[in-house]
Amino acid sequence: MAKTKQEKLEAKLEKQYYRTHKSQIKKTRADIIFDVVNHTLFACFTLICIFPFYYLFINTISDNSLVQRGLVSFWPRGINFDNYVRILQVNDLFRSIGITFARTILGTAMMVGASALVGYLVTRQEMWGRSVWYRFIVVTMYFNAGIIPWFLNMSMLGLTNNFLAYIIPGIVAPYNIILVKTYIESSIPMELQETAKLDGATSLQIFFKVIWPLSKPILATIAIFGAVGQWNSFQDSLILMQSSPELYTLQHRLYIYLNASNNLSALMSAGSTSGISQSVLESALNAKVIKYTISMVTIIPILCVYPFMQRYFEKGIMLGAVKG
Amino acid sequence: MEISKKTEKLYYVYRILALLLLMLLFLPAVNPARISSLISKSTSLLTTGLSYSRLVENMGRPLKKLWVLPSTMQLLRFSAVGIDAGILLMAAGACLSPGNRKCKRLGSVLSLFGGIAAVAGMAGVYASYVQISATEKPDKINPVLPGSFVPILVMIALMLLLSVLLWVFVGKGESGEHFFMEEKYRLFLLLLPFLLLTLVFSYLPLWGLRYAFFDYKAGDTLSMDNFVGFKWFTMLFRNAQTRKDILRVLKNTLAMSGLGLLTAWCPMAFAIFLSEIKNQKFRRIVQTFTTIPNFISWVLVFAIAFCIFSTDGFISSLMINIGAWSQGKNFLMDGSHTWLKMLLWGMWKGLGWSAIIYIAGISGIDQTLYEAATVDGAGRFQRMWHITVPGLMPTFYVLFLMAVAGALNNGLDQYLVFENTANTTSIQVLDLYVYKMGIVNGSIPFSTAVGMLKSVVSVILLFCANGVSKRLRGETII
Repeated sequence: MAKTKQEKLEAKLEKQYYRTHKSQIKKTRADIIFDVVNHTLFACFTLICIFPFYYLFINTISDNSLVQRGLVSFWPRGINFDNYVRILQVNDLFRSIGITFARTILGTAMMVGASALVGYLVTRQEMWGRSVWYRFIVVTMYFNAGIIPWFLNMSMLGLTNNFLAYIIPGIVAPYNIILVKTYIESSIPMELQETAKLDGATSLQIFFKVIWPLSKPILATIAIFGAVGQWNSFQDSLILMQSSPELYTLQHRLYIYLNASNNLSALMSAGSTSGISQSVLESALNAKVIKYTISMVTIIPILCVYPFMQRYFEKGIMLGAVKG
Repeated sequence: MEISKKTEKLYYVYRILALLLLMLLFLPAVNPARISSLISKSTSLLTTGLSYSRLVENMGRPLKKLWVLPSTMQLLRFSAVGIDAGILLMAAGACLSPGNRKCKRLGSVLSLFGGIAAVAGMAGVYASYVQISATEKPDKINPVLPGSFVPILVMIALMLLLSVLLWVFVGKGESGEHFFMEEKYRLFLLLLPFLLLTLVFSYLPLWGLRYAFFDYKAGDTLSMDNFVGFKWFTMLFRNAQTRKDILRVLKNTLAMSGLGLLTAWCPMAFAIFLSEIKNQKFRRIVQTFTTIPNFISWVLVFAIAFCIFSTDGFISSLMINIGAWSQGKNFLMDGSHTWLKMLLWGMWKGLGWSAIIYIAGISGIDQTLYEAATVDGAGRFQRMWHITVPGLMPTFYVLFLMAVAGALNNGLDQYLVFENTANTTSIQVLDLYVYKMGIVNGSIPFSTAVGMLKSVVSVILLFCANGVSKRLRGETII
């Protein structure tokens, strides 16, 4: 894990402190017991959090016949990556991966662009009716018509069985707008904007040349959280895409596979509209392995971006702390 | 020459009309070009113009048999293009109207052309309606002039009239005048598209709440004939079966939220005890790995549950391998202790993440307090209890009150993915119940009514929590 300079420094200082104060800080017996128990408990919980991922993974890369008999519990046996190659030959799954990537990238890009622009616009005091419009957007966080009116509204707009349903409703994200607005107000000096204005820049020019580059940290934060949200979202596919399986997202597809029967051919016909390729049937893929491998395929992108996300945790937590 | 007050008032009418027409473009329900029931219900006026294939997707046979002439559909399509373009021009005209005289005049000209195009388009739609009415198979084609046709025609005509009037009233600007609009209006126009999106996706659904007062089945239209008033609301209490269901669902909802509230201190304890660990590396590892589950979806959590607890999952395989069990058990199909299990899954997913805010809080506590306490002879637990805990309390209050406000909104995903025949009675929370009734069983009015009651109670809870917060801490949470 990458550490920042400051953290390194802090750790060093702390070590020094303990070295010099060793004689003063006497560990009592109770302290030692507490430390041992504390460490053990945290180690256990960490293990519980991480082991299932490991277990899933070793089962997808082990020899399938051993997996089928339940003989792979703690370490992989007969390592091979054939399952991942074969699973991509299931047509519908491949399509779902494409759909999910498309919605994640497009949806996040639009949301970030819109949040940046709106967040900037609502900081401009001279706008006509500024505070009214700002409240108009922000207050939507606190009410919600419910799932059925939402569904009826989407179908009235023609957004059922339509890929755009994944993108358009998420463009305006009040929470993120507040974040960007707060960031611009607190971290970008007003003088910069004023100088640009004196030089004859229009509002849009100020946005692209000053605000956008300077608010990159907050935009990266909302982008990464937004992308994870898009990748994980499941309800919209479940409810809006009822009659177009070709638009199912990966999460939805995984849900279908997990609930399908254990019989391989039944599983395939339940999850698939166009049948499966011969090679998959011929291969030793069994129902359990299919389920595990699809789960892994769905988890891997999250695990890939996770190290980058960690840097933004503190800001992400701010999500809860800011007010309108 | 000043622009008179009367003209300004006319401009308001003009802008509102333009806005309404613009919205109509996107609403399939009021598409004036849906002149046959063979045109899909979900085609809006915009789609009619943009996509010929969507327009005729159900018309393969009629077009082949010449019950409907292809030329009719082409005419309809190009008429729709005319209306679309016309309305967009009128909207552009309205956008220009806050500018100076020169802008206003250009706007009037634009919307004049737009109005003409739209009227011509409406005439084209009417012509194709007349053509389609002459079909030899009226029972198959169902030609109909949509109810929205006349109102929209009136609106467009009104717009046309207004653009002419405004063009005359505004008059000619002085020569050499440049296009100019005040900054405040330009900024507003930049924001306008996003306001419209908010309106359509956050406020318009509220209009859907009216379904709770009608006897509606998919495909019906709402009219006074099927208006039933509060029938669905009273049914909640009068019908014994429904009452039982609702009570059960409410019990589940409150029990699971209640368990969540009872364990709300856990993330705080997690953070406090974690900060007692002095080994930076160990702390970092714990934090990294316990936060991961927060970022996977509930479907994936279920996948995890599946690989550990199902018949051929980790535990069963292990027990069989060491010879303790003769065959695997499926813990997921077990209906006992459902509330507790759901709580534990929630904690597995959320504990590490929820602790982060408290960890940040602990690093914000003044270190000199600890030093002073140590000097005064306070032990480890005393320092934790008398310094760390009070330091974190404000954060805890806010999060707790928010949780109280959200007590009825458990969310749908978790309970949907974990539901099965064995645990269905004890896992159904309000959100899941509404989904099942509305989307799966299709009783839209009833589930809308239930959802509406839930929303109202939630908003009341939110205001109560806010009031409590104001009273106790002098700070609001919303």
